[in-house]
Amino acid sequence: MAILRFLLRRLVLVVPLLLAVVFFTFMLVRIGGQDPVARIAGPTATQGEIETIRSELGLDKPLFAQFAIYLGLVARGDLGRSWISNRPVLSDIVERVPVTLELMLWGVGIGALVGIPVGLFAASRPNRMFDQLSRGISLLGFSIPTYWLGLVMLFVFFYLLDWAPPGMGRVSLMLTPPPRVTGSYLIDGLIAADWEVVHSAAAQLVLPVLCVAIISAAPIIKQTRAIALEVSASDYVRYARAAGLPRRQVQQMVLRNSRTPVITYVGTELTGLVGSTSLIEYVFAWGGLGQYGLNAIIAGDFVAIQGYVLFLAMFSVIVFVVVDLAVMILEPRAALQG
Amino acid sequence: MSLLEVEDLHTHFIARGLDNRIRTARALNGVSFALEAGRTLGLVGETGAGKSLTALSIMGLLRAPARIVAGAIRFEGRDLVGASEDELNALRGGSIALIVQSPRTSLDPLTRVGDQLIAVHRAHRQVDAAAARERAIAMLASVGIPDPARRMNAWPHELSGGMAQRILIAMALINEPRLLIADEPTTGLDVTVQAQVLDLLRRLVREKGIGAIVITHDLGVVAHYCDDVAVMYAGSIVESGSVRAVFGDPRHPYTRNLIASTPEKLQVDRGRRPAVPPPNLYALPDGCHYRDRCPDAAELCAQAPPWIAVGDPGHCARCHFASRQGTAA
Amino acid sequence: MSGAAESARIALPASGGALAHVIGVARRSPTFVIGAAIILAFAALAVFHPWLMPHDPVRAFPTQVLHAPDAQFWFGTDSNGMDVFSRVIYGAIYAFAIAAPVVVIGMAIGVPIGLFTGYRGGWLDEIVMRFFDALRVFPSIILALAVVAAAGPSLLNVILVLGILDSPVYARVVRAEVLALRANAYVESAVAAGNPTWRILFVHLMPNALQGAMAQSAVRAAWAVRISATLAFLGVGIQPPTPEWGAMIRQGAEYMVTGQWWVGIFPGAALIALVLGLNMLGDGLQDLLDPRRKAATR
Repeated sequence: MAILRFLLRRLVLVVPLLLAVVFFTFMLVRIGGQDPVARIAGPTATQGEIETIRSELGLDKPLFAQFAIYLGLVARGDLGRSWISNRPVLSDIVERVPVTLELMLWGVGIGALVGIPVGLFAASRPNRMFDQLSRGISLLGFSIPTYWLGLVMLFVFFYLLDWAPPGMGRVSLMLTPPPRVTGSYLIDGLIAADWEVVHSAAAQLVLPVLCVAIISAAPIIKQTRAIALEVSASDYVRYARAAGLPRRQVQQMVLRNSRTPVITYVGTELTGLVGSTSLIEYVFAWGGLGQYGLNAIIAGDFVAIQGYVLFLAMFSVIVFVVVDLAVMILEPRAALQG
Repeated sequence: MSLLEVEDLHTHFIARGLDNRIRTARALNGVSFALEAGRTLGLVGETGAGKSLTALSIMGLLRAPARIVAGAIRFEGRDLVGASEDELNALRGGSIALIVQSPRTSLDPLTRVGDQLIAVHRAHRQVDAAAARERAIAMLASVGIPDPARRMNAWPHELSGGMAQRILIAMALINEPRLLIADEPTTGLDVTVQAQVLDLLRRLVREKGIGAIVITHDLGVVAHYCDDVAVMYAGSIVESGSVRAVFGDPRHPYTRNLIASTPEKLQVDRGRRPAVPPPNLYALPDGCHYRDRCPDAAELCAQAPPWIAVGDPGHCARCHFASRQGTAA
Repeated sequence: MSGAAESARIALPASGGALAHVIGVARRSPTFVIGAAIILAFAALAVFHPWLMPHDPVRAFPTQVLHAPDAQFWFGTDSNGMDVFSRVIYGAIYAFAIAAPVVVIGMAIGVPIGLFTGYRGGWLDEIVMRFFDALRVFPSIILALAVVAAAGPSLLNVILVLGILDSPVYARVVRAEVLALRANAYVESAVAAGNPTWRILFVHLMPNALQGAMAQSAVRAAWAVRISATLAFLGVGIQPPTPEWGAMIRQGAEYMVTGQWWVGIFPGAALIALVLGLNMLGDGLQDLLDPRRKAATR
């Protein structure tokens, strides 16, 4: 019941945020110095042709009229058609969401699985060798450009060692993708019992997932360590030591109290990783939402950009709500405030 | 043999500065006192005088860069300086208990109050869960918590400050310690609650014959609840004795200053900055450390002042002129 | 327990020679010193590039296209037949030329915003902070890419956009410091003495609040180097054959899977080294400015 009320309250707050995001994006792409029409029409187009395209796209109307029209469409669940491909933006995006999620969740999942224990262990013996080492590794992880890491992975594991397939999509080009159920080739292949597809999809996943895992592990290590150290220095942990509780119990207390902030952090990290994941998609021709967004921005495809940004904002909101729900379930303090 | 004897305790903060020199903040410079079972000693002084550090030193809870460089802490005749971490851990919460000034943040927010009490009890006593639970409920009742069995299930965030402090007192006393250290036990509580908590503390300490050290800024607390008082300045005790003797006839100019500056509330001012900066522990003056601030400083004060016994038995002051009768009292 | 922390905070008297000081810093934070050394090395590359580059970074050797590293071309040549080694050295100039103004712009915008919102509070503060929160919904690379693409991808726009987008970081830090300082006695007395608001902000508050912003600057410079290279990698902003690291990696991307690794690996390695140096400097700076961050560990 408390959870339901909490979700409702969140929903009410989300609407103005999304509106603001739509407005912001809409204006941002239009007040820039770039004329998309000239770009779409190409260098050989005459002035007349350009004007025709402009009115076809509705760009000759006043800015606020354009916004009102767009908003009307969005309210009806229509995100418009891409200026470049002329395909409906909504279905293009919906198709790509699971593709990106598959990559991100595997990557961040593995990153967290490695990063959280490393951070906790480092914090339990601060300034010792393991701690210094983990600090160095996470600094390095912060400094590696995502896309370069992907390129190096391809060079080493595909070109040199031939252990991994080339970074060209999510399943071997020789195979027919499985019938779409979830959008993840791995899962859909399993459902269709097409083992060749499952094998190929898994192989294609390895390098990009590894990249996302490495990139996400660095900040997770750093934050987990910082959180655990802060908890160790808290009044209650100090008091537990003053009360002579056995060391194991004190350590368990640190772990228990680090859990909530770490989960919250990994959640926010998930939204922050959208950028890195997009670059990984770009390098591995992954064909997910990230690559779609990058291409739309680079090409100046306003309608696609607007749709993409709207989905990004919704993704952030969903992640925060899920994180809050997880915290509510784990922590009695938050439950009362819910 | 006294319950606790602290002898010439020196605790320093030792750290290397940015210019690669080792710097030493002499936070405790030879603290000595003794506490008998069943008596309550008030430890007063301004912020940074070393009151809390004395408590942490006794409990073996110092963290780098602080460490004990000299002195002895004898608890029931056994020296705690140099005792192993395991030995100290067995004493802490068992024979020596601590009450702190931030009761609400000192309870584990994710563990029910009762379970925390039980954990402390079972960390020191070989009892089964049911017996520990019974004992915890009894303790809650003894600190005046209504409906203790139900309160066992409370979360720390559901407690008021006064309630949390009662629970902390219950936790401190659950293993029947022989020494209790209360560090600012009532700071941050409402005035009425302060009195209740202090009365409770005093009653329990009396009943069980516990030796207690109460660290406070509040001279009023000392006057009403302590048997003896020790006044600290710049890491040493400058005057000590029975509360009546010290407050009635203060012999150290710092003590006089403390009492004079807080005529009504008898409270050392902690909110505002002191008019005079606190002593620089990195470069304490030779001789009397209070020399720079003392209105009566004389040439003699360049030499370390002796510990002079005056009037009342047990009343001593660290001042060359301690035998001179005070003026402001 | 407050007494212990209190005494530890007592100011250290300043003394000792310069050398001893360096050794002291090195001992307290080796990270800081290594980071500073890396940055100095790159600064030297940027300053002395005319004497360090064996070839003109944009001169094409048409017969030496995609030449593997050897004695003549230490890092090989790219698909235009240009010397990768010389281009990597020249790239350091772009890194500094972008990072330095981005940090300056970010601070120039962010610090006054932080000072003002922190000091004034109220609805203005609320609105500005909520706006900054909303910006955080988007990953910085996506935001930077979108704004640069909208503004028109020139080097100047990249610098301006990154500077503006980074200003909230400084604003937040300074605001937090101001909130903490505002309650201090010396600010109250400055107000009571009838000082005008601008004077309180810039004379009384800024010097103290700036320390937090300075501690951030190295890490933010690392961010600027990284993001600007990413933009170039995506083909937005600086274009090949400009000898900028991100653009060079873009050029080398397709040759990674065909074995001409040197085109992309070397500029990437230089990029990592400089970004790592800046991050280490920033990390070390925080250790030095806040010794308790280290001392807070058991």
